[in-house]
Amino acid sequence: MTKNVIFIMLDTLQFNYLGCYGNDWIKTPNIDMLAKESTVFENAYSEGLPTIPCRRAMLTGRYTLPSKGWGPLEADDTTIADMLWGKGVHTGLIFDTPPMRLPKYGYQRGFYDVIYGAHGHEMDDEYYRHHKLLKDWKVEDYLPDNVLENFNNSPMYKPYLDHTLKEMKSWLAMRQYWKSDADSHIAQLVGKAETWLEGLDRKFPFLLWFDSFDPHDPFDPPSIWEGYPNPYDPEYKGKRLFQPPQGSADLYTEEQLNHMRMNYAEKITMVDKWIGRMIDKIKALGLWDNTMVILTSDHGHPTGHGEHGHGIVRKCRPWPYEELAHIPMIVRVPGVGEGERNSSFIQSVDIAPTIMEFISAKESKVEYGNHVLDDDISLSDIQGESLLPIIRGEKDKVRDFAIAGYYGYSWSIIREDYSYIHWIRKQDAENLKDVVEMVSIMYDAKIGEGAGRGEGEKATTAQTEEMWSCTPGEVVLPEGDELYDRRKDPFQLNNIIDQNPEVAKELLQQLKLQMAQLRAS
Amino acid sequence: MKTIDLTEKNFDRETADKDGILLFYKTICPFCKILEAVIEKFHKKNPDVNLFKVEFEEQKTLSQKLEVERAPTLFVIKKGRVAAKKAGVMNLKELTALWEQN
Repeated sequence: MTKNVIFIMLDTLQFNYLGCYGNDWIKTPNIDMLAKESTVFENAYSEGLPTIPCRRAMLTGRYTLPSKGWGPLEADDTTIADMLWGKGVHTGLIFDTPPMRLPKYGYQRGFYDVIYGAHGHEMDDEYYRHHKLLKDWKVEDYLPDNVLENFNNSPMYKPYLDHTLKEMKSWLAMRQYWKSDADSHIAQLVGKAETWLEGLDRKFPFLLWFDSFDPHDPFDPPSIWEGYPNPYDPEYKGKRLFQPPQGSADLYTEEQLNHMRMNYAEKITMVDKWIGRMIDKIKALGLWDNTMVILTSDHGHPTGHGEHGHGIVRKCRPWPYEELAHIPMIVRVPGVGEGERNSSFIQSVDIAPTIMEFISAKESKVEYGNHVLDDDISLSDIQGESLLPIIRGEKDKVRDFAIAGYYGYSWSIIREDYSYIHWIRKQDAENLKDVVEMVSIMYDAKIGEGAGRGEGEKATTAQTEEMWSCTPGEVVLPEGDELYDRRKDPFQLNNIIDQNPEVAKELLQQLKLQMAQLRAS
Repeated sequence: MKTIDLTEKNFDRETADKDGILLFYKTICPFCKILEAVIEKFHKKNPDVNLFKVEFEEQKTLSQKLEVERAPTLFVIKKGRVAAKKAGVMNLKELTALWEQN
């Protein structure tokens, strides 16, 4: 029997918005059911944030944070698809994550089948820009007056508003064609995955990389369009704010910030429904007993103050905090690890070696022709660890700590007892240049221009000698660095660095050692 | 891996007319530890290259003379003269390129 892998990436799925990660008010029954049949990893962290570096790490099994950020896949990056090419494993990429199709970026490389789900998400929103909005479809119906006023009065964040207005107009131009959530991006993508699975030649093992941009914003759940109150926020009477312009959380009222989160929650419930349908299909096709299913995300989402976003809405700052870096990781291996929970620190880079071990294990060899995976696939470049030994109960952990951050901006280390954030370059929240710079990285272009020009990161983040060397004298804690008691303060709200300088120095040295080790290997 | 510790006194004598890698390091620097491991790997592939090192806080005069302000700082020495200088961590590929291109 062949061994197959279905990898489900749901962009922007914050771990604590799932029932299987302790949330008791958002309905995610299908993902929770999958979790019950799987091993749930409670301490999974993305190492390099956000979208693009995370995918590079997952595809290659190599850390990006020390040396690569938001940029094209390079010739010396070896992905799972590269490794499996010509080895008798059929590979398919079914996706609608726009950054994966940015011109010149090449993240589709090596997959035999490349199927794009549907247009219209961020960075692909201009696809609909020339479509006329039908009567009664107005952007301003979704932006409260105080939000418009606050952004218009803020030289700092006005560029974000202008950009968001364009995004929203395009989103509505697309959305006006939809009849129900069956037209949503996730639904369309699941439909394409089902068709692809149905058409497989079962003689061959397969890897499906299912990469959904949902539940990423816009947070436009069914209740907005079908005209009923958000089930998680039934008393809210204001404008529905499905795509808040990014910026400081202070530009919104607490009620509006809460409503954003409720729209996000409702969207996650919708995504869960369609994932449930896909899992049903996998079972109906008889693939459940020989297919490993991994469900994960690249990051969470900042939606306000404190644990909700440390003062921002959407990713307008290079924040490495818990709500962004901590991700869900659910791995179902047929026959082992059912209902287990594990607290080892694991990272995005563990995906590739886990898939490679599962799909190339000796028992997966099949009797057809020459499409047997032998030991001739070099995994020596991989820095991650396979999770299968944990799932099989052979060991408890793969590492003692995790790292996370934004390339060129922030490095952090997360241990069981403490977490520490080291700022390579802390952006000034009151500096317009810094704000524009962040958008330039995310969109890989100047604000308002088409994305994917390959200029954003090059212009802003460079490797410097200062990042990778020490100055004379004792270890000095850099100004602005942060230390948190992870047991009491997992969401990193109370910086205790001044009271614990020796602990902080120990973590800083440990972080630098790990980063240097990765940088040099 | 034989590494010669350099001081102000023996610097000229030990490096004269030689080709080698010179590392200014700091004992408690994590980056230096890693770069030393990279140099070790490099040396296995290039056993004829001389290896020198200097504790940059102990050898202040030497550090000042060669304008070393941070550790690690690595020098490529060719025929007893400085051919290249680079501070910070690098991997084997980068070190090899630095050696070969200078």
